[in-house]
Formats: sequence, structure tokens, C-alpha cells
Amino acid sequence: MALQGAAGLARALRAGELSPREAVQSYLDRIDRLDGAVRAYVHVRGEEALAEADALAGQAPQGPLWGVPVAIKDVIDVAGTVTTCSSRVLVDAGPATRDAGAVEGLRRAGAIVLGKLNTHEFAYGAMTTSPRFGPSHNPWSLDRIVGGSSGGSGACAGADLAAGTLGTDTAGSIRIPACFNGVTGIRPTTGRVSNRGVFPVSFAFDVVGPIARSAEDCAVLLQACAGHDPEDASTADVPVPDYAALLPQGIAGLRVGVVRSLVDNDLIDERIRATVLGAIEALRGLGAEVRDVEIPLLQHFGAIQQAMQFADATNVHLPWLRERLAAYGDDVRARLLTGLYLPGHVYALGQRGRRVAYEALRGTFRDVDLLVAPTLPILPPRIGETEVDVNGRRLAYRLPIIPYNSPWSLVGVPTMSVPVGLVDGMPVGMAMVGWRFREDVVLRAGHAYQQATDWHERRPDLAAAAKEV
Amino acid sequence: MSDVPSIDTMRELAALHGVHPTQEDLEAVQGFLAVLLPAFRELEQLVPPETVPAAMFVPTEEA
Repeated sequence: MALQGAAGLARALRAGELSPREAVQSYLDRIDRLDGAVRAYVHVRGEEALAEADALAGQAPQGPLWGVPVAIKDVIDVAGTVTTCSSRVLVDAGPATRDAGAVEGLRRAGAIVLGKLNTHEFAYGAMTTSPRFGPSHNPWSLDRIVGGSSGGSGACAGADLAAGTLGTDTAGSIRIPACFNGVTGIRPTTGRVSNRGVFPVSFAFDVVGPIARSAEDCAVLLQACAGHDPEDASTADVPVPDYAALLPQGIAGLRVGVVRSLVDNDLIDERIRATVLGAIEALRGLGAEVRDVEIPLLQHFGAIQQAMQFADATNVHLPWLRERLAAYGDDVRARLLTGLYLPGHVYALGQRGRRVAYEALRGTFRDVDLLVAPTLPILPPRIGETEVDVNGRRLAYRLPIIPYNSPWSLVGVPTMSVPVGLVDGMPVGMAMVGWRFREDVVLRAGHAYQQATDWHERRPDLAAAAKEV
Repeated sequence: MSDVPSIDTMRELAALHGVHPTQEDLEAVQGFLAVLLPAFRELEQLVPPETVPAAMFVPTEEA
């Protein structure tokens, strides 16, 4: 089976070029061959997935993802499997009795779940070096991290170990691994996708979204998940457009704002800066009207999100902090304990700050349709290291994570990372940001860029990885 | 906003919540607080006093 993303594979399945069983078996073979090196999966539903594929045999294709194998971040419930959150805290948890809302959507569209994917413990960190399952490995360089928290999803998509994946994003957890693994991932508007059956980090910021090969793949996957869930009070009752139908519209005349403060600063690797500026010029070449923008107080948006997020996460975990504190990994334990020491007035400050951030971004979007910036200004660090090289000096990995990601999750706007080049053989991503519920604009811009370039089609050489196993 | 609390104070506060961290845990937390508290202090000065909170909300198209 030729390697292709969810949208292309769905077309091939509907055309009868292969059967759902052949698609599932092909991925299972690939997982068997490569995942010992990448370690994206924490659980593979091999027999179940084949049985589900067989159940589709003889039926007329039903649903836009009919027979398409997908994989799910392990904070999202899949009926019959244990949601481990990649944590020792949940070592005695039983299997989920029901699919999460987003998984229900994928299944309604005809998708088959191959398995569950590694995550930073409880989705509360950006490295995916799980204390329970160990680190996932970047398919572009096995000694580097995959990012996180949806690191297993990023690595899975990057190594073509499923045709599409689901991740979650609280403060960058879809965009970071999409960037580091050379694939496309969209954080939808907060409230666009049901969070039912998803283990929370912060009810204020969490959202489920796809990580896959292309914007077109993300459009098809998001279409299946998006929409109001009457069983989830945090989802929005806002109509969902036909994303795939809107993709071909192109971006001629689209007003694109370059977030200048995220392009020009001392956190960014000069080579990444040059690569992203080249991608922005490509958007101009496609007819976009490109201009610089400055967003008031942008550098403080990360602190605003943290004022709320720490308390939210600690609130969720408090019973286990009392009973199972030592079972957490060191970094997550420290983050969760930190929430104990932030008083209520800090949370209120965060809520008021979020209003300021919302108004600032709302004002910016009166003048533009799309914002662009580097997804991240650095390359992924090597596993076990907490610093990266930036222009000849060492920089803590955590420093650029918040200012490049929190501005968009704080206000809950849709943001997609698309691959735009390679530096030192590692992928570089560009963030495309739309106004609330305008995933269609973000996906359309990503698709237009990917129609004109082939970075999303570039794949790591995994032959060496296979030999190492 | 106050400075980073001492280890003893942090231990007492945690115990009030029924949580019993180790010395190493608390030292790690002090590292987070040393970054967070100055950032929040700065934020206090920047958010206008009349700003209405954006609480947990179910978003709408224009909200």
C-alpha cells in the first residue's frame, strides 16, 4: 500500500483499490516493523481492528473515513481499552466503557481505531518522555524528542503508522508535535470538538484535534469530530461548515498578518526564521495580502494562561496528589504541586487578563483574516536534554514553548502547524491562526500552501530505524 | 504578590490540603514560583482595574 494520508486513503478505499482489511493489515505490519524504534503506540488493537475491518467487508462504503485506520492519544477514551494517560498513577485503571465524543465521530465516519498513542504524562508537558512507557522517538532523528503533549500522535503521523491521529491541545500540545515531526496538526477553536471522554488538563483551554499528513487530511478528520455534543457543556452549538469543500478556494486576497514579535526576537534560531519568512513569501506568491501586525501585550499572554491553567490542573488531580503523589513523574508532580501555592486572586487575574487578550486579538482580526508565525523557534532537543542550541548559545527548551503557543490557546482561536522546511534535517513548522470558528480559513490557507509546496510530503528515512529494532 | 515561600511554609500549606510533598518536590515548586510570581506581579500592573473577567464560557461565534 502506498503511503498516504487519511483523505487519499479514503478515496482509494471508496474506489475499491484496496479493502479495509488490507489497509489495516498494512499499517499493522508497518507498526510491527517500525514502532519498536519510534514507540508512538502504547497499545495496538490489532485483532479488534482487523475484526472491525472485516465487518465493513461486503458493505457499500459509508462515511467519509470508511475503512481508514486512525490512532488516538491515550488521554482520549476508546471503548474496551484502558486510558492510561501514560501515567503510573492509573496503573490499575480498567478499560473505558464508552468511546469519547470525538472517537464516536470518527467511527460514525467509518474510521477504524488501530490503537492508543503515547502522551506526556496526563498531557501536562511538552516532551512525551513518559515515566510509564518511556519516551517516544522522533522519526526524523530517533535521539530527539517528539514534543508534546500529543507526542505519540505527532510521531505516529510522521512515521506513517496510521492514516490520521487525534491529539489534544491545552497550550500547544497539538502544534508542537506536529511541528517537530514534520506533519500538519490543527488545534480547533476551544469548544469546537467534544471533550467528553477526554482526561482534562484545564477545562478552560482543552480541545481535541487531528494531527495528520496534510491540511486536507486534517479537514476530513476534523469534520468527523466537530460539532455540538449535548452531553458536553463545554462544546459550542455553532454550525460546522464543509471544510473539504472550501479547501479549493485558495488564498488570493486573503489578508495575512505576520506576527512580527514572534519572528524578530532573541529566542528564534536564525535558520528557522529564514525558513518561515520564505514560507510567508510563498503565501504572498499565492495572492495573499501580507502585512506585519503587532498584538498588544502578546508577551504576557502566556502568563495569563498559566494563571488559570495551574489551578485547573491541580484541581483535577488533587485526590491523587493526596493518595498517589510519588506515582507521578517528577516534572508533572512539580507542576501539579505548584498549583497549590497560587491563591484564588491569581485565577481571577488570569480571567481578567484573558479578557484583555481577547480584545487585543479581536482587534487584530478586524484587519486580517489569518495570522502567521513560526510554530516554534527551535529544533527539538535530544532525549534526556532540557536545553537546545540557538544561534550558538544554549537555551532552555521550555522558554520558547509558552510565548509561541499560549497566545492562541488563551483566546481559543484555531491554529494549525504546517511543515515549511528542514533545518539540520529536522522539520520546521509555521503556525496559521484564524479567528474563532474560522477553521475553514486556516485549513484553506494550509491547503493552498501545500498545493504549491511538498514539505508535507517529505518523509524521514526510517530504514535505519527498522534495522535498529 | 509575595515572594517565593520557604520550604517550611510550603510544607505546612500543602498539609492543609492533605498533600505531603518531599523536600525535592518543594524545591522544584520553588523553581516554578520564582518564574511565575514576578510574571503575575507584572500582570497586575497591566490589566486595567475595570476589566471584566472572561470566566469559563461556552463560546459562541462572536463571544
